[in-house]
Formats: sequence, C-alpha cells, structure tokens
Amino acid sequence: MLGEAFLFLPHMLKKRMRHETLYQLFLTGIKSLGVITVVAMFTGMILALQTGLELRRFGQEVNIGTAVTVVMMREMGPFMTALIIAASVGSAIAAQLGTMTVSEEIAALEIMSINPVRFLVMPRLVALSVMVPILTVYTNILGVVGGAIVGYTQLGVSLTAYFDNATRYAENKDLYVGLFKAFLFGIIITLVACHQGFSTTEGAVGVGRATRRTVIISFLTILVVGYIVTRLFYK
Amino acid sequence: MIRFEKVTKMLGGKRVLDALDMEIRKGETFVIVGTSGAGKSVTLKHMVRLLSPDSGRVVVDGEVVSELSGGELERIRDRFGYLFQSGALLQWLSVGDNVGLPLREKTDMSDEEIDQLSHEKLALVGLADVFEKRPDDLSGGMRKRAALARAIITKPDIILYDEPTSGLDPVTSRAIDRLIDDMRRELGVTSVVVTHDLHSALAIGTRIGMLYQGRLVEVAEPDAFVKSKVKVVQDFLEAQYITKHGSWERMVAK
Repeated sequence: MLGEAFLFLPHMLKKRMRHETLYQLFLTGIKSLGVITVVAMFTGMILALQTGLELRRFGQEVNIGTAVTVVMMREMGPFMTALIIAASVGSAIAAQLGTMTVSEEIAALEIMSINPVRFLVMPRLVALSVMVPILTVYTNILGVVGGAIVGYTQLGVSLTAYFDNATRYAENKDLYVGLFKAFLFGIIITLVACHQGFSTTEGAVGVGRATRRTVIISFLTILVVGYIVTRLFYK
Repeated sequence: MIRFEKVTKMLGGKRVLDALDMEIRKGETFVIVGTSGAGKSVTLKHMVRLLSPDSGRVVVDGEVVSELSGGELERIRDRFGYLFQSGALLQWLSVGDNVGLPLREKTDMSDEEIDQLSHEKLALVGLADVFEKRPDDLSGGMRKRAALARAIITKPDIILYDEPTSGLDPVTSRAIDRLIDDMRRELGVTSVVVTHDLHSALAIGTRIGMLYQGRLVEVAEPDAFVKSKVKVVQDFLEAQYITKHGSWERMVAK
C-alpha cells in the first residue's frame, strides 16, 4: 500500500486532492490540539516531578531541565503524540473506511476506476506524516514548559536555570531523531488504519473490530519501531 | 456481449456458482432472479471483477475479465455503470458531487461542465432539486436514483443493477423500473438486473434467468418464463402470486 501510495504523489497537486489533504491536516492537527495540550503538559510535569525528586536527594535538581527536554525530544514527545493520534485519528480513519467498505462505497470507487489508495489513503498519509512531526514539536514545547512550572513551583529551580540547563545539554540530534520517529509513526498509523478499514467485513461488528485492531496494532508497532530507531541512532 | 463459461465460485466453504453458463446480449435487459443467497449479486460482481472465478471465465466482448491487468481492467470497467443495493454514495460529499465524481476524477472537464452534467443526470432521474443535499438527507428510493445518475454520467454501454427495488415501496419500485426501462429504450444500454422482485423482473426484462444452486435453471422471455415447466421457477412464481395463466400482466404495467 505504501509503495502504491507514493506512486500517486503527483496526484496530490490536483485541486480536489489538495482540498482533501488540507481537510485531513485540519482534522489531524487542529481537532487533536486540545487533548495533546493536556497530555503534553502533564507528561512534562510528571517527568519533572519524578526526576526532580530523585535528583534532589543528590542536590542535582537543577538538572531537571536537561532530563525533561532530552526525554521529551527523544522519546516522550513523538511517543505520546503518536499514541494520541492513533487512538483518535487512526481509529476514526479505520471506522470511516470500514463503514465505506461494508456499505460498498469502496467497491463503487473501484468500479468507477477511482483507485481507493489514491483517493482515500494518500490525503491521510500526507496529512499524518506532516502533522504528527508538527504536533510532536508542540508536545515537546508544552512538555518542557510543564516541567519548568513544576521545577519552579515545587522544586525551587529558577526558570533561568531550568532553561539554561535544557538548552545546554540537549542536542539537535535529539530533536531530529524524535521528528524522524514522529514521521514514521504518522505513516504507521495511516497504513494500519487504512489496511484495517479496507479489510473490514461483517458490518457494524467488523467496523468495531477494525477500530480496536487499529489502536492495538498501532500502539505495538509504534513501541517496536520506536525502540529500533532509538537503537539505530543511540548506540 | 457478456458470457459466463463454466464459472465456479466458492465463498465461505459454499459453492455459490456451480459451472455457471450464461450469455447476455447487446442492448437487452437481462434479469437474474432467484432466492436470497442464490448467487445473484456474486454473479454481477464477476462481470466487473469485484470477484474472480475459482474456475471458468467471464468474457466481455471477447476479453476475459479475470485475465486483464490494471489499465485493461480499468478500460473494461469504464464501460460499466453499477447501481449498488445501498446506492453506495459517498456520505461526506453532496449528492451533486457524488454524481460528478467519476468525471472529476477521470477527465479534464471543468467544474462548471461537470456540475452542468450532474444537474442534467439528476433531472433525468427526477431529482433536480437535491444537488446540494447530503446522501443522508435522501430517502432510500432517492439515494438509488442519485446512484443511478452517477452510474450513467459516464455514458456506460452496460449498467448492472443490484436489487434496485429492494426495500422500496411499490410506487417507488415502479418508478425505478421505468427508469431502468428508459435507459434501455432511450440510451440503448445493455442492462443486467439482479432482483428477487418478479413483478419488477417481468416489467423490465427482455429475458429473465432463474439462478438456483449456482446454475441458471431457466432463461426465457417474460411471457415464456411465467409458463416455465421448471419446478423451482413455478414455486418461485407462485410464492409471489404470479401464475402461468398470466395474472402478472394485470398486476404489472409494462
């Protein structure tokens, strides 16, 4: 499906496909912002609190800026963003395509010689592979800010010290590897969701099954791929 | 024009089509009747390769459908219009955009030209005022008529109808029958209609075939069909209160 999708990349320049992709970008990005904001903020706050309490035993709580920033950029940012998108957008894609499959809308497209991969998968693939990295940057920023709030209010770390630490030890590589993961996660979520949607049988029960499988398979694949990428870049 | 040669298809461990031989001629309305699960829709899906036979061949104008590759299959499919049982309109598009979809995706026509044609086709099926509505806002009969407008907008040679009158009231059913008949008379298309509604079959069919246990047990013109001596055909006719004495002629307006 991925290879077929890339063959259709030039079609993305067509007016209708541009509109559909923009709509999918809106669905993926804007509609997920609320939940991502809350999750990102609390992820950073929990990270700061847990690491800060341990570091304080050694008088090193000033280093939570580094810990939170590096962990958010390398792992938690892309990981948490991908989980939220898989659970919200991925499941919605599977449900929509699953419903279209059982109501013969996909078959209707095939008979009209409209390739479902070009027509339905491509806009979602482009939207998720672009939007998951963008949302990851947003998650990273909010996570770091959340950590700063906890550091300042509960651990007595000044904001200057927190951000000085955060920027001094975090590397560009951490950001790029995290964004690369996010890009891969976007592709994984789309392909899993579309495959499950297109494979749906047995009516409403099948749609429910496709939705559940999408979330489970996406979660597991994200975990495994996340580990492999980390292993490749950090030896 | 369309020929099934010993087509066999197993689905879910059941032999749905059993060495089916069938021929559909150019310009006719061939109606396939049979009980639920007789393989009527499966037969239809083989014609456009939504399903492929386990053995045997489906031939459309000399081309074996199951052997065609991507571009060739697309060329054959472009000759077909297909009316699904549910209509299969895309829910997130307006009715007008649904009707114009094949042209928008496959031609270089301008949006204005496509909208104009979509309006014309919707008017042809009696739905001139639903262009902006969503499929969900339409009744079952209106959805089928909108789907028919989409099926004919590319001017296909052959239209396949899967249970076009199922779930509709008798008045709407007869309106759909008239539309199917008009397609043949006015546009000269070849039609294949799958239905278990014998009144509809007798009203629109130029020939009727009865599918039973994966084979055609009878193929005849309507007046000969009602006089068939095949027992399953007689049982099927009697189940719908149609007798060989011709009572259907009084019941159905040709």
